[in-house]
Amino acid sequence: MAKEVAKQNTVTVSRLYGDYLIMLAAPCIMAVIYYGARAFYVLLAGVLSAVAGDFTVSALLKKKFLIRDLSNIFIGAAISLMMPAGVPLYVPCLAALFAVVAVKIPFGGSLRAPFVPAAAGFAFASVCFGDLVFSYTANVKDKFLGAESLGSMLMRGSSVHLNAANTFDILSGNVAGPMGTSCGLLMLACCAYLFVRRRKALLATAGFVSACAVFAMLFPRINASPLTSLVLELSAGSLMFAAVFLVTDHATLPKGGAARVVYGAICGIICMVMRAVGAYEETVCFAVLLANGLRPVAESAAKAAAASFKKRKEAQGK
Amino acid sequence: MSNSELSFKDIFVKGAVIYNPVLIQLVGLCPVVAASTTLKSAVMLSAAMCVSLVVTCVLASAVLKKVPRWVRMPVYLLTGLLMICPLLWFVETKTLATLSLGIKIYLPLVAINSVTAVHCEQFAVKNSVKTAFYDAAAVSLGASGIFILTGAVREILGSSSIAGIALNLPITLKGMTLPFGCLVLLGFMAAALKTLTGRYYAEAPAPEIRAPRTRETQPVSETEITEVEIFDEFWLEQEAETQPEPAPEPKQIIPEEPKEEVSAPKYTTAAEIDELLRSLGIDTEGGDKQ
Repeated sequence: MAKEVAKQNTVTVSRLYGDYLIMLAAPCIMAVIYYGARAFYVLLAGVLSAVAGDFTVSALLKKKFLIRDLSNIFIGAAISLMMPAGVPLYVPCLAALFAVVAVKIPFGGSLRAPFVPAAAGFAFASVCFGDLVFSYTANVKDKFLGAESLGSMLMRGSSVHLNAANTFDILSGNVAGPMGTSCGLLMLACCAYLFVRRRKALLATAGFVSACAVFAMLFPRINASPLTSLVLELSAGSLMFAAVFLVTDHATLPKGGAARVVYGAICGIICMVMRAVGAYEETVCFAVLLANGLRPVAESAAKAAAASFKKRKEAQGK
Repeated sequence: MSNSELSFKDIFVKGAVIYNPVLIQLVGLCPVVAASTTLKSAVMLSAAMCVSLVVTCVLASAVLKKVPRWVRMPVYLLTGLLMICPLLWFVETKTLATLSLGIKIYLPLVAINSVTAVHCEQFAVKNSVKTAFYDAAAVSLGASGIFILTGAVREILGSSSIAGIALNLPITLKGMTLPFGCLVLLGFMAAALKTLTGRYYAEAPAPEIRAPRTRETQPVSETEITEVEIFDEFWLEQEAETQPEPAPEPKQIIPEEPKEEVSAPKYTTAAEIDELLRSLGIDTEGGDKQ
């Protein structure tokens, strides 16, 4: 019996990343709807360079290239979706190459990498091509706020009065921003899918979003109501995308439910602090990378909290 | 490496390549990461480190062998500073060199970097002056090579120029001028060096300088993981029912019945056998009686 359950609970890399790719299909379609063929080219550039990078390095190192390892496709697609549609094609190419060659392969594959490769790739692009990665000028004719993204607006400290129309625009991603990550409604749908497939992974997402929400309401960057700040902060940039796709990365998730909540909360706090004082308008990838390094802290904190809770319960029982 | 019978070739190969201070021993990383953003900066850092290291190592080997350790360490630092500070003053005032802020900060720190302390303490004070000089020269050469290579690559990729000459590359990676770019570059260079030394100097033992093991780690296999246990991720219905397999019932050990010992007659000699046959009426000499 135990062997059967163990067999059932043993998942392959392809299944793990297959789930991610199924979830990514919706943002990809949305990006193509919003930005046309340009979005498709950016996606293709990211995916092809990630696959080609892995294939080339595997050939150089005389390792077996697993075509069924879908992590390359996920890394390329995720990086591309976090970029603006008008970005030069070499930017997602180099970012995906960096993610695969410098982060994924040296540590023994996507299930061993201590950092989320997609986050590292986007962080690399942010540092090297900051002016291109945060320039949202493609297809902004019908966009709410024109060419200005929510992130840059919040960075400047300016606000908008939310009504039904522009709230729907914001939640549906009809604002200037990353081409596939600003649609909050789609991210909620992805959360529902993840709830069916990997429920406990969502604990990290819950911790992350809760921390961001509390921080946004307590320390708003704009002169508006806490609710407006909450909606704008959660909808800005790739925050919700990272909550679903990057924070739940299997290799970097801590073990145990409480540790995952703490890990997500740490990640959320770092993200919001960096948004408040950082130089870039999109900081979630840096926050994820820092939280990856702090994973042991989350695990030990959760363990200590569980031990003290148990001790208190035993004392009450006596 | 505390062997006084080492040849020049051994010292050179080990000091510069196999135990490269920057890539293998991971000492002196601060200057290379923070200040070697251009080829010019890297060359200046290398020169300063060579002078400081060679003089300090020779001095340590010649004079400081019988001095207590707690005295030796400050002497290394002071010697390095005595070398570097006049050099810095000379470069700043007597030449037209315009130093960057990174160089101005890290050049004095080269005098007290860990490469000097490690090699004086681990090699120079245990060996002759000549051997210490060879070691200092080899280590300086190894570190300088990495400094200059890193500076050149960072300048080409990060600033699209080499030694101040514009190359006008189509893509410039600004991140290479930041410390993270240098650390990534050093990581790849260390991997390449380990591969090369593993191939050509396979008999060389592991470096002496190692980080202390803080915890037991499981050996990592070279193959990629393609399957992963996710017990704590999926809430499967069967998971609650997971029970350990019942332990197999202990086998009843039935003691074997003792076999009856058949007392076979033991005939050890031919005479005894003949006697037995005769008692049975068998003629052993002429055949059976008619």
